[in-house]
Amino acid sequence: MREEIISIKNEAMAQIMEAKSVSELEELRINYLGRSGKLTSLIRKLKEIPSSERKEVGILINDSKNAISKLLAEQKNRLGEGARVWFDPTIPGVRPPRGYTHLVTKAINEISKTFEQIGFVRVRYPEVEWDYFSFGSLNMPQDHPARDEWETFFVDTPSHPTYGQMVLTPHTSSGQVREMKRVKTPPIRMINIAKCYRRQIDASHIPMFHQFEGLVIDKGISIAHLKGTLDYFARNFFGKERKTRLRPFHFQFTEPSFEVDVTCGICLGKGCKVCKGGWLELGGAGMVHPFVLKEGGIDPKKYSGFAFGWGVERTYMMKSGLSVPDVRLIYSNDLKFLTQF
Amino acid sequence: MNILVSDIWLRDYLKTKASQKEIAKYLSLSGASVEKVEKGVYSIEVTTNRVDAASVYGIAKEASAILPGFGVKARLQPIKVAPLKFSGRVWYLMAKVDPNLCSRFTAVLIKNVEIKDSPASIKERLSAVGVRPINNVVDISNFIMHEMGQPVHTFDYDKIKKATMILRPSKKGESLTTLDGKTHTLAGNDIVIEDGAGRLIDLAGIMGGENSAVDEETENVLLFVQTYNPVNIRKTSMSLAARTEAAELFEKGLDPELVSLGMTRGIELFEKLTGGKAEKKVLDIYPSPYKEKKVKTDLDFITSRLGLEIEKTKITKILTSLGFKALWKGKILEVGVPSSRARDVIIPEDIVEEVARIYGYQNLPSILMQGALPEPLANAPFAFEGKIKDILKGYGGIEVYTLSLVDKASVYSNALKLKNPLGKDSEYLRMSLAPSLIKAAKENSGEETFHLFEMANVYLPKRGELPTEKMILAGIFRETPYRVAKGIVEGLLTELNIPFEVFSEEAGHFAPNRHLYIKSHAKILGEFGELSQGHLYYEFSVESLTSVAKDVGSFKGIPKFPPQIEDLTFTFPERTRIGEVIDSVRAKEKLVKHMELTDIYKDAYTFRLWYQHPTKTLNDREVEEIRKKIIAGIKEKFGAIN
Repeated sequence: MREEIISIKNEAMAQIMEAKSVSELEELRINYLGRSGKLTSLIRKLKEIPSSERKEVGILINDSKNAISKLLAEQKNRLGEGARVWFDPTIPGVRPPRGYTHLVTKAINEISKTFEQIGFVRVRYPEVEWDYFSFGSLNMPQDHPARDEWETFFVDTPSHPTYGQMVLTPHTSSGQVREMKRVKTPPIRMINIAKCYRRQIDASHIPMFHQFEGLVIDKGISIAHLKGTLDYFARNFFGKERKTRLRPFHFQFTEPSFEVDVTCGICLGKGCKVCKGGWLELGGAGMVHPFVLKEGGIDPKKYSGFAFGWGVERTYMMKSGLSVPDVRLIYSNDLKFLTQF
Repeated sequence: MNILVSDIWLRDYLKTKASQKEIAKYLSLSGASVEKVEKGVYSIEVTTNRVDAASVYGIAKEASAILPGFGVKARLQPIKVAPLKFSGRVWYLMAKVDPNLCSRFTAVLIKNVEIKDSPASIKERLSAVGVRPINNVVDISNFIMHEMGQPVHTFDYDKIKKATMILRPSKKGESLTTLDGKTHTLAGNDIVIEDGAGRLIDLAGIMGGENSAVDEETENVLLFVQTYNPVNIRKTSMSLAARTEAAELFEKGLDPELVSLGMTRGIELFEKLTGGKAEKKVLDIYPSPYKEKKVKTDLDFITSRLGLEIEKTKITKILTSLGFKALWKGKILEVGVPSSRARDVIIPEDIVEEVARIYGYQNLPSILMQGALPEPLANAPFAFEGKIKDILKGYGGIEVYTLSLVDKASVYSNALKLKNPLGKDSEYLRMSLAPSLIKAAKENSGEETFHLFEMANVYLPKRGELPTEKMILAGIFRETPYRVAKGIVEGLLTELNIPFEVFSEEAGHFAPNRHLYIKSHAKILGEFGELSQGHLYYEFSVESLTSVAKDVGSFKGIPKFPPQIEDLTFTFPERTRIGEVIDSVRAKEKLVKHMELTDIYKDAYTFRLWYQHPTKTLNDREVEEIRKKIIAGIKEKFGAIN
């Protein structure tokens, strides 16, 4: 059978080379590759040969078929009309102007998509906020030393009789009590992404940045659920093999409170030159303090919850492995920077 | 707060074979976070609620409870209070103490002190944690503060007039010079000590007074260990910007029981290092000694928060290792809280934390929530905002995020101002994106042509309320022809399925004659034009766009009869508005389905027109009739030549 195939192939190739018109080529195609063409009918005979040889013969038929098809196409182009007109297909294309959405927009889109997949509802709360929502309702009374960590901007305007001073919100946690008041009856699964402001500027701090805040409240919410959610986020946002861990920390508005780490993307937790200990710090989290639930009008005897709030820019840098040496660049409006992403 | 703890010092109290690396790792996982270990010194972040752990001894206590959870043997070598006699009255000092300011006041007279250098072991321990050794008296204070987290002060006893101390709130305007030579004028309600001559001799909890300080000549020292009201200390320390280590400890609320340990250690070190002799009776004014606080919780609460079943005996073991008492009645758990944790462990959730962290967060399960999903947010703006950004990106726009804090020149007079701005250039909350975008455009003046856009809130003040945060879309062009820029704005509105019209009207900040309002259903959506300083600029209220946009265009039947298409060219006099020409034709001729400007050559404008009838094919004669009317109309109204 092998010789038969080779002779059919050679015969076909010779005839194609000699063909003088497109219609002649079409006849040849039908003759060899058509439904009852010479090569096609050989395929049907494959069943008759011993199975040990079948594979090899099959490959030979296929190769021959491809060679004939290719030659047919080449000959067809050579004989066709177009061949007489000069055309340069290598000339560069004229591209439409390319636009760019900002790194922060991309980050926010990816983060919100990840959480929306497990039923979180995206919201946005005021950027200019009352002290009450930024601190007081979060179990941080006036003059509490814990406030030192939030380098807060204050607005020069009279204080509200109940809500206190006007501030630029230093974190998205100010949305916690607002969300509780909006939803009233749990379940709550909030993802609040907003601009935040802190009075600091250096290579790793900017006065304006973005945070995303997760808040889950329902019956029987436990630390295990927080771990589950963080691991889900790590797997889907950072990559399949990534894991998170909790370390003890302290925030006034969560009890217990945690610092969350994610395994380094390079060594996956073993420790390497880039990450040192194998883990990278993501940000804070905790179980919602009963004081905060009460401020939000939710009965802490019936419901419990967890919350976490991290920087959008930092988290995205960690995902994409972009090592931007100075975060101020992100908000520099320099086209040379913006058009890289 | 960050503290330094040297490994050698730590092992005075922590008996373990664990390596430095193991101690650092396990502490971080279950207690205070160890940022790094360098040359045998741990740099440890102690959270504000755990001031009890902010010392060598405090860390040793934590580590002795944590390490066994990781299978590493560890034991605490406790400091015992020496059999001192504490008494409310002593012959050597007459003290009157305001109990609201100072919950425990102790002092002892140590006579015949010899001031000299400390021994090497003390100096080394202090130097390792960054404290410069001075002399034995100063070093003892620093040593005890670092070892136990209890600030200690020493007076030159002979400088306290009439051996009398009155601890009281300061009066506004009083002043005192501290031992660093700075003179402070007090705001009132600072904790101060007055001696028998009416002089202020101590800014309590912050720094001692210059007039009572120990010096080279000192023979008799009053060793002084106290617990102060944290609120007063914090106010004084913040308002005088005197952030001493003592103040940072006191302002977090120290354990009054720690005072006896500090006193014990102080007397021991003084007698050993200075050759002085302490009086037998220690003055101790402690009107309400610590009574053990109890927190009640139960097994179900703990397991429901952990998401894991845990045995009662395990809980008991964890709590006792941390110095708590655990008393079970069935499932009910009563926890006795030691004085050192009384300010921090108050509610059942605090017990959950203690159990969970020592049990190990890494040993808890990781599961996703079950249960009902929340309702989606009504009218969520995010998808629409994203769509706008994507459309503009598709047109070559480059998105920027500019700072919402701007200078005075960029806002109206009623703009919100910051009390504590970082600088003059970021003192106000912006009310428009235009100044920021102009600035961004200028910063990129090296580039040839571009279109920058931003979507961000502006802050419009409201009396007695939070400002309105209005989401604005704005864009700016550089070196872009007017028609191209306007086309981008028109294209955006068309893709959003917004029917719109424009009308030209003068506006502030725009060049004369070069400003348009964009309207839909009689409502102004935004504006476009050339800014007075030259750039083409557009701005829309995103909410207004949302209110008129449609997700999908409305369906119109596909026309059954083909249009006739032709081009007409007119020459117009100067100052003719071509937009108005097109509008006039569209308004009058219903059978002109579409009209487009296709070419401009000098003053000749070529339009393409689509003539179409819904129920029949127009014949040449019918088209000619319409054409005649159009030409006549344009000639008459605009003085055009065809």
